[in-house]
Amino acid sequence: MSLEAAALVAWGTFVAVDLVTVPQGLFSRPLVAATVAGWLAGDVSAGLLAGAALEFYALEVLPIGAARYPDWGPAAVGGGMAAAWAPAGLELGLAGLVAMPLAILGGWTLHVHRRRNAQSVVGRMARVDAGDARAIWELQRNGLVRDAGRGLVLSVAALGAAATISELRWADFPRATMLSWAVLAGGLAAAVSGAIRSAGAGNRRRWLAVGLATGLVAVLLR
Amino acid sequence: MSPRWQALIRLLGVQAAWTYERMAGIGVGHAAAPLLRELYRERPAEARRAAVARSAAYFNSHPYLAGVAVGAVVHAEREGLAGPVITRFRVALSGPLGALGDQLIWTGEVPALMGLALATVPLVGWWAVLLVLVVHNTLRVRLTLWGLDLGLREGVHVGAALQQSWLPRAATEAQRLAAFAVGLGVPMAAAWLLDSESPAGVRATLAAALVGVVLLFAPWTRTRITGLRFGLTLLVLVLLLVVTGGDR
Repeated sequence: MSLEAAALVAWGTFVAVDLVTVPQGLFSRPLVAATVAGWLAGDVSAGLLAGAALEFYALEVLPIGAARYPDWGPAAVGGGMAAAWAPAGLELGLAGLVAMPLAILGGWTLHVHRRRNAQSVVGRMARVDAGDARAIWELQRNGLVRDAGRGLVLSVAALGAAATISELRWADFPRATMLSWAVLAGGLAAAVSGAIRSAGAGNRRRWLAVGLATGLVAVLLR
Repeated sequence: MSPRWQALIRLLGVQAAWTYERMAGIGVGHAAAPLLRELYRERPAEARRAAVARSAAYFNSHPYLAGVAVGAVVHAEREGLAGPVITRFRVALSGPLGALGDQLIWTGEVPALMGLALATVPLVGWWAVLLVLVVHNTLRVRLTLWGLDLGLREGVHVGAALQQSWLPRAATEAQRLAAFAVGLGVPMAAAWLLDSESPAGVRATLAAALVGVVLLFAPWTRTRITGLRFGLTLLVLVLLLVVTGGDR
């Protein structure tokens, strides 16, 4: 494995752990994860493009408590790689092809990870309930290790998918840029509907309308 | 390193052993352990073990505010309150800390920062990403430490102290800022992403996005369709079209 590939897998593993375990510091947001992945893969601008498009999807998600949600961390790392290695004009399309299925897969692994944590707790229940601080430490450590393993598997899958997809003969499909339109259209729908739902009714919806109006004016004045 | 700082570092990983049954209980117990170890240094080992067991029971809150509960419970243990009272107090803190944290962070600060980042990425590039990380992580560590100190200071009165603090108002303001920032950021970033597309591409993208928004709100589809499912379905359809040459 090249140094570049190792760095990308390490970054993907870190962002997976960031979402679930530690430090929960927004490194797993698509805008962050994909931009850094693009930089590691040799094209930070492509990573930034992919990250912005995928961030639209993440704006729809509320990672609250026991809710099930996609894991955008390693998925966005894969998206950033795919964008960096994509032919010109296909950055968003290839990023979406890699990242969107992986985000769903990542969400499923989160559920499995929590079930494994539960089994681990059941195995140490007597010691925890007896106040054994070492058993609590073991549970935390094992949770971190399992999560890192989950992130590692997802990151290797992201690397494989990005490398495979970017190697395809896209020049044979002259209208492949339409893939980028699909990724962006889905993202816009997700971001707009997520924003409207989050804003609820009343005052916040007015702030959303003011923000939208300001953004549209800024776009028209460019 | 002082027990307070050890607790702070452990609070950064409070959800490491998160489960559907105990939620963040184990993580909270892990974070409280250094403070309890110091508190019970010269007391019977049985009492310390009972306190450790209580600290690792069911608990759920926003992870960034779990320090409030850790501090308050350690304070209550220091005061010598009865075990069942401390357990009930701990459970009672779960709901308010969860709701307040979700309002402040998940529907407030995080979308606000990401919306502002999307608005500024076309202007300053990856610097916007760096700024998001610095601002968020500074706020996150300061909030966690503030919560831990508030709990350690107020004990069982922490609920009232929270209500009188800056936090509820900040949560409301953060949600307003989030609504404005996302509204601002989405069109600005979308225009930047569509910059190199043909007019036909821009029209097709916006039309498909409009269909998506309708599906995401229509009564017969809104419970089954998410933005990701819609986007992925669209992507697969376009891929089939491109690969089979159906677009020619």
